[in-house]
Amino acid sequence: MTTSVPKLAIPGQRLGSISAYSAGPGTHVQQSNIYASIAGPVVVDPAISQTNKKSILRVSRIVAGIDPSKSNQASSAASKKKPRYNTLPAVDSIVLARVTRVQKRQVTVSILVVLDDTTPANPEANQAASDNDNIASILTTAANPENHSSTDELRFQALIRKEDVRAVEKDRVVMDEMFRVGDIIRGSVLSLGDQSFYYLTTARNDLGVVMARSEAGNMMFPVSWKEMRDPVTGAGEQRKVARPY
Amino acid sequence: MMADRRRVNGPPSGTRPAVFTADLQLGASATDRAQRQRQPSELRKIFLKTGLIPTASGSSYLEFEPSASLAAARANPKSLIPPSSALKLACTVHGPKPLPRSAAFSPNIVLTTHVKYAPFAARQRKGHIRDSGERDLGVHLETALRGAIIAERWPKSGLDITVTILEAEDDRWWGSAPDSHDASWGMMNVLAGCITAASAAIADAHIDCLDLIAGGVAALVADESGNSAAGTTKLMLDTDPAEHRSILSACVVGYMPARDEITELWLKGDSSKASLEEGDDRSGHDALIDGAVDAARGAHTVLAEAVRESLLRIVGQS
Repeated sequence: MTTSVPKLAIPGQRLGSISAYSAGPGTHVQQSNIYASIAGPVVVDPAISQTNKKSILRVSRIVAGIDPSKSNQASSAASKKKPRYNTLPAVDSIVLARVTRVQKRQVTVSILVVLDDTTPANPEANQAASDNDNIASILTTAANPENHSSTDELRFQALIRKEDVRAVEKDRVVMDEMFRVGDIIRGSVLSLGDQSFYYLTTARNDLGVVMARSEAGNMMFPVSWKEMRDPVTGAGEQRKVARPY
Repeated sequence: MMADRRRVNGPPSGTRPAVFTADLQLGASATDRAQRQRQPSELRKIFLKTGLIPTASGSSYLEFEPSASLAAARANPKSLIPPSSALKLACTVHGPKPLPRSAAFSPNIVLTTHVKYAPFAARQRKGHIRDSGERDLGVHLETALRGAIIAERWPKSGLDITVTILEAEDDRWWGSAPDSHDASWGMMNVLAGCITAASAAIADAHIDCLDLIAGGVAALVADESGNSAAGTTKLMLDTDPAEHRSILSACVVGYMPARDEITELWLKGDSSKASLEEGDDRSGHDALIDGAVDAARGAHTVLAEAVRESLLRIVGQS
């Protein structure tokens, strides 16, 4: 290698040779050279396994919060992640979604945020990776029932089938006792699905309803894995509740 | 043109004070006519900035330097009609977003391009509904961009690219009578501008692409200098159609310099009879394409600088 890796890249800029690096997200290979395909800071992830000796060269989508003078530093947490080539929901990614329709056999949700595959230890990085600017603002607008229909067309739609709601007693699931329209749920993507819907599952302890309003319209708090309670009226409502962190 | 029933429409073809040819011949001499002040291989200056529309995932604004005749006419006004116009356009990118429910499954990103002239963009008023020329530009722009975007990285999603032209190039000098060489030459410059601006907006939206794709225009124009034999033609880069009496043929390319690839090529006019300068034994259309690629290389330097600038701006904010 005669030239060093640039700190910031623009699409079409040559970053290095595939004899020295392997190509990660945000790059492509053309005639045994790695080129940037998006604009952003260049990150060199050190080699993970013994079999693959080459460092991974990638262009980060997250521009904010990265000091270009330090962008080449290796972060061990980042190298453990599965490489992501886009900000779309992928299989196994954890998403936050809002319930838009409850039917007997399935619920329809619209995906608000795609979180990272790893545990959300660093929420700042996660939210910047998605198209949505701010988790807090999304959740407040999402919990507001007046803010519904207008933006749903612009969000990715997903389904949770009855048998994917929980891991036990799958045949006794009653959808009305699991989700209500307007609830914010945390789910995991099962498959990319058909032309219009992704498929989600909540069959894990940490997945399910994270935010819900009671019939009186108050934000509820979870009391068990299947119940949430209204702090004002004291009335309990049934939900498939996600384990709080 | 279809009538738009939802709006109160002005006269379909606009209103302009009548200008009679006799007046032009008397009042407007050859000096009033816009003349090219630049060298044949000199491009107009380009202003390009990204990220101006906060609600879009990516956006850009592009402006060409106005011709020298405009400044001269402003300093010494003889007519209310501006002698030339310069391209101004805004491009927005929305997406990646879900495909409409009716659309079939697509493993790639689905590109949709819209090119629309603002009603006031050209000397002839444009309607609110896209006409055939605007649809044509949209198709050309889509072809140019599709070759540059890495579509398979964004399954099941759509990307909408909308270009609004705020000021279009003239097809000829406004005072000239239509002649046999007439064609919509201005559209070629508009397309080149659309390609460059859309590329900047796509980079701003962080959509994977192979390279920043730039548009460039070159044209074979009849030599007006008078000191060479009649019938010779000259190759000019980045031609402003208002500055030339007769354009024989023009070419626009969408070009990726890092890979030396052309994704879009549009030739118009007749380049077969063109006789280039002494010592240049290229055929007319070879020279045209080479010229357009050179112009695109020039535009690419501006494009790369604009993308880098917006990147530094975001990094600097954090």
